[in-house]
Amino acid sequence: MNGPTEETFGGHVELALWRKLFRYALRYRRSVILLGAFGVAMAVVEILFPLVTKAVVDSVGEAEEPPPFARFALIYAVLLVAEAGCVFGFIVQAGKLRTYIGHDIRRDAFANLQRLSFSYFDQRPVGWLMSRMTSDCDRLANIFAWGLLDMLWGVTFMTGIFVAMFVLHAKIALILLAVLPPLAWVSARFQHRILAAARTVRKTNSRLTAAYNDGLVGLRTSKVFVREADDLREFQGLSTEMYGATVRSATLSAIYPPILLSVASLATGLALALGGFDVLGGTMTIGTLVSLMTYIAYFFHPVEELALRFAELQMAQASAERIIGLIEAEPEIQDSPEVRERIRAASVDCPRPGVAIDGLPSHIGRIAFESVGFEYVADEPILSDFHLVVEPGETVALVGPTGGGKSTLISLLCRFYEPTSGRITIDGQPLQERSLAWLQSNLGIVLQSPHLFSGTIAENIRYGKLDATQEEIVHAARLAGASTFVEALEHGYDTEVGEGGARLSVGQKQLVSFARAILKAPQILVMDEATSSIDTETERRIQDGLRHVLGGRTSFVIAHRLSTIRAADRILVIEGGRIVEQGRHAELIAARGRYYELYVGQRVQDT
Amino acid sequence: MHRPRTTLWSVTHGQRLRYAGAIASLAVAITCLFVPPLVVRSAIDGPLAGGDAGWLGATARRLFATDSVAGTLWTAALLILLLTALAGFFQYVKGRHAALASERAVRRMRDSLFDHLAHVSCDRIVSLETGDLVQRCTSDVDTVRAFLSVQVVEIGRCVLLFVIALPILIGLSPSMTLISVVLVPFVFSFAWIFFRKVQALFREVDEAEGAMTATLQENLTGIRVVRAFARADFESEKFGACNAAYRDTNFRWIRTLGVYWSVSDILVLSQMGLVLFGGAHAVAAGTLTLGTWVAFMTYMTLFIHPVRQLGRVLAEAGRALVALGRIGEIFGLPREDRREKELDAHALESGLTRIHPLPDRVAGRLDFDAVRFAFPAGPDVLDGLTFTIEPGETVALVGAPGSGKSTLVALLLRLYELERGLIRLDGRPLQSLPRAFVRAQIGAVMQEPFLYSKTVAENLRVGRHGADAHELESATRDASLHHTIDGFVHGYETLVGERGVTLSGGQRQRVALARALLKDPAVLVLDDALSAVDTGTESRILEALERRHRRRTTLVIAHRLSTLRHADRIIVLEHGRIAEIGPHAELISGAGLYARLWKIQSELEDDLSTDLALAPNEPWNPQAKATAKETP
Repeated sequence: MNGPTEETFGGHVELALWRKLFRYALRYRRSVILLGAFGVAMAVVEILFPLVTKAVVDSVGEAEEPPPFARFALIYAVLLVAEAGCVFGFIVQAGKLRTYIGHDIRRDAFANLQRLSFSYFDQRPVGWLMSRMTSDCDRLANIFAWGLLDMLWGVTFMTGIFVAMFVLHAKIALILLAVLPPLAWVSARFQHRILAAARTVRKTNSRLTAAYNDGLVGLRTSKVFVREADDLREFQGLSTEMYGATVRSATLSAIYPPILLSVASLATGLALALGGFDVLGGTMTIGTLVSLMTYIAYFFHPVEELALRFAELQMAQASAERIIGLIEAEPEIQDSPEVRERIRAASVDCPRPGVAIDGLPSHIGRIAFESVGFEYVADEPILSDFHLVVEPGETVALVGPTGGGKSTLISLLCRFYEPTSGRITIDGQPLQERSLAWLQSNLGIVLQSPHLFSGTIAENIRYGKLDATQEEIVHAARLAGASTFVEALEHGYDTEVGEGGARLSVGQKQLVSFARAILKAPQILVMDEATSSIDTETERRIQDGLRHVLGGRTSFVIAHRLSTIRAADRILVIEGGRIVEQGRHAELIAARGRYYELYVGQRVQDT
Repeated sequence: MHRPRTTLWSVTHGQRLRYAGAIASLAVAITCLFVPPLVVRSAIDGPLAGGDAGWLGATARRLFATDSVAGTLWTAALLILLLTALAGFFQYVKGRHAALASERAVRRMRDSLFDHLAHVSCDRIVSLETGDLVQRCTSDVDTVRAFLSVQVVEIGRCVLLFVIALPILIGLSPSMTLISVVLVPFVFSFAWIFFRKVQALFREVDEAEGAMTATLQENLTGIRVVRAFARADFESEKFGACNAAYRDTNFRWIRTLGVYWSVSDILVLSQMGLVLFGGAHAVAAGTLTLGTWVAFMTYMTLFIHPVRQLGRVLAEAGRALVALGRIGEIFGLPREDRREKELDAHALESGLTRIHPLPDRVAGRLDFDAVRFAFPAGPDVLDGLTFTIEPGETVALVGAPGSGKSTLVALLLRLYELERGLIRLDGRPLQSLPRAFVRAQIGAVMQEPFLYSKTVAENLRVGRHGADAHELESATRDASLHHTIDGFVHGYETLVGERGVTLSGGQRQRVALARALLKDPAVLVLDDALSAVDTGTESRILEALERRHRRRTTLVIAHRLSTLRHADRIIVLEHGRIAEIGPHAELISGAGLYARLWKIQSELEDDLSTDLALAPNEPWNPQAKATAKETP
């Protein structure tokens, strides 16, 4: 499993990775250039301010006639406007880069997620993917925007100040330069630790969020088992951990600025003493001394910012790797180059009736499993050497104990997974040679634990056919046996189902997902224990409805209830990845085999 | 929801002394920081101007017994360093204590939120979105946290700055003081007005981000449905819209911030320019010394930025209040144990204790008397149910989806509060019994069982604390689960949930069943609890259940007639009313839902019998199997 790996700390900066991400920034070349220009311009303006101060102070000191304040004020005003302009400019450009790059990375990652195979999601929890798509994306976009700005601004600013100070007083400038390396080192260490502490806080925070979520989702269970006190104790452990992490992070953040401040004051003191001697010696003006001290106060601002950005860059390495990994992940199952070529060719001469998007017949006839084998984990086969031919329009029921491979069979047919050996064909054509999108848009799938999206019942049914009218939706609901309960609701079809359909019972969700599949009018209908929480009478109504709307379509039914499977054209008893028995209900009963054993137990009549 | 009763003041309870300490440290730090400009001033006006070194000279004499100009200057340098280091130390003390105080307050808030939510009754929470509640417990708490840890201190800093700085400045030069603060009100009010005005925009950004995250979350949790319906394009379009909306509002927000910072910079720089040129004029006119002027310029940098911050902090304090209000609404949800506490208090006041001590284990008789239930502003879910379940009896509930079966279970477990009618356990009204007692007597397996993100063994021990391996195994064997768990690489220590293995629906149901069996309750409720279990396994489980405890009241909701058939009596629910009630044999002769279900089934059975009759193999004796399954 190469998915949810832990974040690594430190390490070098891997350039190839960043170059890939930098392509996202290059789409906004104009903004990158403008941002750099504003950053440099701002550094220059900020360096000029103390020089104006120096000139004003000196002019007061020496001149007997009224000093030229008006001229200085004008220069000051120009610098002021320039500074304000630069501030506005770089905030806008950095903001643009940050939001647009974040958007683009997220868009690409999302698009790829929609292509990736089920096996990708089997290995990665939703929460893990969510963090990639939100915090990782934001972090990277931030680095590009503010990191770039701070690097340019910081380097220009510090160089400029150094030059200015060197000209004003070489000795103090050199002392300052000597202080810089250890200070930079200390700063980098500190920022690294501060970021690491902040990351611990974030991680603990997401565990805290999960704990609240579990508390709410498992509310009933906790109440029923009178677990409130135990749960609270566990939560208190977590909230204390969070407390420790935040206090640690805040303490680290509180130590660093005083250190920086003290180093700066050391430099200020030196400048005062050393500069003072020169003033007394007449080799330096008071104005120069004042501006020197101002420069020293300025000089240390970028140190903090640069150290922070550098630490961020180091620590974002893991984010960058994961995001690039997500964007570049190749789906295990996708259209082969030949299929894509055919789709391109077919799209030229418009849709023709009877022809699918990949240029082959759109009708699905005979489906065949030819010596199909499958394993999720190596050497633990779920299916092996599986043979099955399903004639068009046939209803096939799959029965047998849990874990026998029934659901796997269906997943393979839907091409959610690829067989590890053998092949599945439609009218002799291997699935691999057909368009994946075409195949999946011709399947109607109803699962035991149906997933509904938040929104109204009507919106959920409409998912089966996006341009369906209200009449079609109501009709589908009626056929699915859902209309009775829906119409009894206060808001009917406009009832909100809540997150994941949480406001409906399992049986109700199964009915809505049935309506959704019926509306899609698929060529193949797949029902995986789709009526397990529905009473037999409602189920009977659904079956009648299905016969009505799907007459002549191929369907696969997994079920445990005799009433559900009995009507199938063929029943397959599947155990240990093999068909141990098959035939019509009556034949299997007569055979006195596994089917007989399974279902005689369900007999309830005392005849 | 209820009116908030949480205030910023009440939140800091117990931490106020620490806060006072933090603010006091801050005052010392600020005082220390305000001396170095005075040192510089003395140096400039004294030795550097060739004049008297004043107090600086006196300090140098006392500390280093030096009278030279160089000694005075070095003393100044040393003072600057020492004072700044001292200020730094107190700033650290302030930071640490502010963190301790705010984090403690927040930890308490988190704990009580968790505790409160665990005690809110289910019928109130069912209408609320989990995501919204979680967000209140996390983001809103974080907003309050930021206010307590950063903003409170920031406000304190500004107040202290003015209290400490103004006397010093006025002492130096009243007229320069006036020039130094003339734009300060504008800097402050601009920030304040600006951030109040843009609150709406900020909320928009927040909402856009929330919408983007929610769409993402839904897509990822439902990714299998998305793929099954080949809706990648539709989803990309939907997400694309949210993603772009978030980008655009966020960019708009940042651009607005750009306006703020540049205008605010103009104000700040103008104020500094006023001091620069106003001071220069005064020095030229001889009304101000050079050193004082320089000191004023340094002071400007010390307090203009906090003032700018203050406007923002005060404007955003509104957000903390809103967040606190939203948190308060959670605390406003009534706790289900409140009434119990009132009852207890009443009993204490009247000098009464509970007259009848509660037994360890009830016999399990249940009386439902005209039970009614409806969600707020909804139609009746249950509409006057009356029936009795005798101790040891097994009763099955049947009905179409939405007929009220699960609601009945929720009422029995006191997850929902009964509105009208009465439920009695062993003759005592449920309402008069402590909830914990009622729930300890009833073992329930829910429709969609919730498992904790812990190991299988820990999940099972939820049923009984400290159950040993033998007890666990005996329960899992009866739930037909032992072999499944044994098949896992880590066996009973396998982690369940997002971080661990994903169990199938049937496995989850069986874990929940084993957990309930470990509890060994007097009343067992199975709410569609075996729907995902195959029939062979189901009958093994049912047999084991019967072997286990013949004298346990059992309430079963199920759809398979093979399960229902085991019940002593069957209740058919239709639209919240009892349509039929009675033993199997009686109901099948009626004309109701059960008879219809039975007809469907018996048609199959007849076919089956016919099939069997036609089958040439050895004869089959249905009687033998059927009697083995007879319920006691």
